[in-house]
Amino acid sequence: MRRIAYLFLAAISLLVAAGPVAGETRPRYGGTLRVMLQAAPNSLDLPTNTTPTTAADYWDLARTLSLVGDTLVTLDAQSRPHAALAVAWQSDGSARHWQFTLRHGVKFHDGTAASPAAIAQILGALHPDWTVRPSSESVSAESLSIDSDAPMPSLLAELALPRNLLLKRNPNGLPIGTGPFLVAEWQPGKLLRLAANEESWAGRPFVDAVQIEYGKSFSDQAIALELGKADVIESAPSASAGLPQHTGSPSSSSLPVELLALVFPANSKAQDPRVREALALAIDRKPIQSVLLKGAGEPTASILPNWMTGYSAVFSARADPERARAVLAGLPQPELNRRYNLSYDPRDPQAQLIAERIALNAHEVGITVQVSLSGAEDIRLLRVVLPSPDPATSLAEAARQLELPQPAFAAKANNPVDDGLPDARSLDAHSSDGRSLDNHSSDSRSLDDLYQAERNLLQGYAVIPLFQLPVATAANARVRNWAPDRLGAWNDPEFSLANVWLENAWPENVSPQDGRPRADSQ
Amino acid sequence: MSFRQKLLLLFAATVLLCVAVISASVYNTIGHSFEQADRERANAVAAQFRSEFQRRGLVVAKKVDSVAASETVQRIALNLNRSAPDSSGYASEARTLASQQQLDFLELVDYRGLILSSAQWQAKFGYPEATIAAAVPSSSVPSNMASTREVPAGAFLKREELPDGATLGLFVVRTAHVGEQPLYVIGGERLDQKFLSTLDIPAGTRVMLYQNLVAKWNPKSLLDLNGPAAGVDKIAPLVAKVRETLQESQGVIHWTPDAADAEVFHAIPLTGPVPNASNPGTANPGTVDPVAGNQQLMGVLLVGSSRRPLIELQRQIVSTAMLVGGIGVLVAVLTSLWFGARVTRPVVSLAEAARRVAAGDLYAKVEVESHDELGELASSFNRMTEDLVQQKDRTVQAERVAAWRELARRLAHELKNPLFPLQVTVENLIRAKQKSPEMFEEVFQEGTATLLAEINNLKTIIGRFSEFSKMPQPQRRPTQVNDVVRSVLSVFQAQLQQAQRQEKNRIAVHTVLAEPLPEISADPDLLHRALQNLVLNAIDAMPEGGDLTIRTASLGDRIELSVSDTGSGLTQEECGRLFTPYYTTKQHGTGLGLAIVQSVVSDHGGKISVGSAEDKGTMFRIELPRAPQFWQTGQM
Repeated sequence: MRRIAYLFLAAISLLVAAGPVAGETRPRYGGTLRVMLQAAPNSLDLPTNTTPTTAADYWDLARTLSLVGDTLVTLDAQSRPHAALAVAWQSDGSARHWQFTLRHGVKFHDGTAASPAAIAQILGALHPDWTVRPSSESVSAESLSIDSDAPMPSLLAELALPRNLLLKRNPNGLPIGTGPFLVAEWQPGKLLRLAANEESWAGRPFVDAVQIEYGKSFSDQAIALELGKADVIESAPSASAGLPQHTGSPSSSSLPVELLALVFPANSKAQDPRVREALALAIDRKPIQSVLLKGAGEPTASILPNWMTGYSAVFSARADPERARAVLAGLPQPELNRRYNLSYDPRDPQAQLIAERIALNAHEVGITVQVSLSGAEDIRLLRVVLPSPDPATSLAEAARQLELPQPAFAAKANNPVDDGLPDARSLDAHSSDGRSLDNHSSDSRSLDDLYQAERNLLQGYAVIPLFQLPVATAANARVRNWAPDRLGAWNDPEFSLANVWLENAWPENVSPQDGRPRADSQ
Repeated sequence: MSFRQKLLLLFAATVLLCVAVISASVYNTIGHSFEQADRERANAVAAQFRSEFQRRGLVVAKKVDSVAASETVQRIALNLNRSAPDSSGYASEARTLASQQQLDFLELVDYRGLILSSAQWQAKFGYPEATIAAAVPSSSVPSNMASTREVPAGAFLKREELPDGATLGLFVVRTAHVGEQPLYVIGGERLDQKFLSTLDIPAGTRVMLYQNLVAKWNPKSLLDLNGPAAGVDKIAPLVAKVRETLQESQGVIHWTPDAADAEVFHAIPLTGPVPNASNPGTANPGTVDPVAGNQQLMGVLLVGSSRRPLIELQRQIVSTAMLVGGIGVLVAVLTSLWFGARVTRPVVSLAEAARRVAAGDLYAKVEVESHDELGELASSFNRMTEDLVQQKDRTVQAERVAAWRELARRLAHELKNPLFPLQVTVENLIRAKQKSPEMFEEVFQEGTATLLAEINNLKTIIGRFSEFSKMPQPQRRPTQVNDVVRSVLSVFQAQLQQAQRQEKNRIAVHTVLAEPLPEISADPDLLHRALQNLVLNAIDAMPEGGDLTIRTASLGDRIELSVSDTGSGLTQEECGRLFTPYYTTKQHGTGLGLAIVQSVVSDHGGKISVGSAEDKGTMFRIELPRAPQFWQTGQM
């Protein structure tokens, strides 16, 4: 009996002890997730091809808007498409005609249905060269078709880009999407307040709201995180990112999704390829990575990171000052006496030091490089966004940002699957619900094509790739379900900000003091 | 040049020489004094520079000590002594520490001499720091870095590379010893115009600093109190000299053509430790190590002093010297005039008297005014003239006696010849009357004819003497000598043509007449008579024929007339007595022809000379003045 009593007491004790633990790990609704970002956008429009922007601006706006809107599909780190607003897709053999089956019952934040017609209107406005219309082939299904005169083998990767977020605009120009959050307040350049979308097709987010403060420097963000005034911040990537910090704030770094490179503007004095080659050979990337980048990133001589292509090591990033001097020895004296202005993004806290180090390396081999933000720039230190895990798409995007010619891929057969290229580089078309579709890959480029295209871009040292860099974020300890955002996005198949919840959070309309609904809440 | 002029020149030259010597002496003395002052000023500024360098070095050392003792540096040093030190995280530490200590330069350097953190050039991490790398123990450095010297204990000069170019700084090294491996802290301040502004510069002096950063002359590296100095390329040779010799040098820089704008610059070398040769990024390829391989020219301190005070003073001296010289010359002129007048008046009187004596006035006297040498000279002169008068009187008397004797001899000689036939004729008449009265009438007729002939002869002789005594004074008028020559030749033309026809004593006449020949003031009749005598003499001198040459020529203010023959010539004794009246070498000559010629020439102020060579001929040469004053003067 006593034994039974002891067992009973033990069981009771275990239940009492386990109760709070179980409460800790269970997601909670409510609370406001406070986010600080470096960018200070004056509008909630993603940069277009013609709008100059920086990598930081791109990421911050892309992350912000991805909370408001959805794309038709998303890609994971392996470039595999995942269903978003589209649940299934197929294309013909030429990749000129694509058909998408849309998710049923999805509504925009203004209550209007995300119908094929509405989606077609948005996509058609974004891509005038496409023919986007509600599909007439399957009347029963909510589907739309995309047609183009040119083959679109990378259409899924293209559609997964943030610039193809399906957003409408209200009369004030604010975005209206189908995402987990809707715009509640917008102070240009300062603050964006997002409220949870109760009718999100992916389910209501755990937090009630997300408050994003813009224009905060990295140091301000770090201090705010330390003081508990911010829950999620950006941070400079480092080798220790992702490891528990001494403050207890988890931080995460993405895969390398940025390229730090030197580019030469059209009016640059450094037109001689030998000067560029000598400069490329002079730069010792390793100390820059270990000291200035705090071990983050990967020294590279290629545009695309190794995780995308696997061949990055073919391009040697090793410094060779002796060879650089030998290359320079063949130059005429006037070319040797030139002074080159190296500019950088002044908002990038690491850029100036990296630029100065490059100037020092160049000085060692006999090239005079002056780090300056004034005057005509001859060399530009630039961060280039690699927005897609699809290498062909990222290469094209990088070329656009580097003001290089678009990569030329070899003409392909209609069925790219049959060209014998590694399957790992092909996208697996599928549907989220496992239905069998026309198994057509959106990325039909072979590694060889990709390599040749990238090598062509690098020919003549029009660009000197330096580092493949990740983007990093850090979160407060009360932010739960925080996961490394491998592609730098906040709403992708592997991680979504809608899935985090806050420890000790209270619903927006409940006072944290007494647990009762707020008097001023609606 | 007169005595007065010589005296004037002597006085003026003496005064000018004295003024010049004194001025030059003062000029040079002042120049040397200014040079000495400049040198002392330069030395004082250099000493002040060194003193300020040491003082600032102590300040920097204190700051670097603070940095070395700071918690940050101690933590870094401790980390570096761990088994697997990570030196990648300190790139920005130096900047923070430098900012706290207000240091321009600060670098944290590990035990291998590699920069961990650099305040002045953050990107320099991982590069060797030259001073430390050269001093770290060889066992702890890469093989290409030899340990050659110790870390400097005090402040030292060092060239520092910066992103925008190199500069010069004052540095101090301290070591943080936490474990076995030291951590070096090297901090410093810029050595630029701010440093110069702390120096107390004397008025009229300026200080510049040339930072010896590149191999060639770089004007941007020359700093004055306001930063890079402008328009100072003329200093380049002075700096180059210091760079070459590493010795203090001095030079005058002329900024403009005006010498007063020039400056004297003393260039003082500033040296520092030689950077490690294995670090080409910090080495200065343009300099060499002149002192045992451990010192290098880092900069040149230039102390300039304006030459304006010196030049203005020298100009004032020159002006004063010229003024004094001018006044001195004026005083010398006046003094020399007064002194000359006082001294030379007796001399001038003496000279005047001597001229009068020379002109024939043997009665000239000099007034004796003093009893000095000049007085003695005047007395002697007077005595001399008195003696000359007496001598002349005696001579004249003797000559007169001699002349009378000669005249008497000639008269006796001339008169004796006609008197003898007279005597014989009269005796024949007496004898005929007495012995042959019948023949008396016949003898009487013959005798009276002879008597009349001889009496005529006597009359002719007496007429000639009378004529010589009555030589008229010249009646001068413009006369063309060539016309006189032609006139005389026309007189002898018939005689000469006759001789030509006989061919036994043919005389060829040659006339070489200067054309145009200026007219002279002369009596053409007297000249005609004189020339006629000469031509006659020449014809007489050539009884066997020969060449008679008459020449005229212009000799400036005189004309020359010469008559030459090719006769037997004269002896030297004959030439000497030729113009003596009544002297003749001919059988029937009176000896008055050449005396008349000499008289005519003398009356015209001219002179006559004769040259003769035996068996070659004789030439008479007459020089006549063109203007009458010459012969008038000559008559004095």
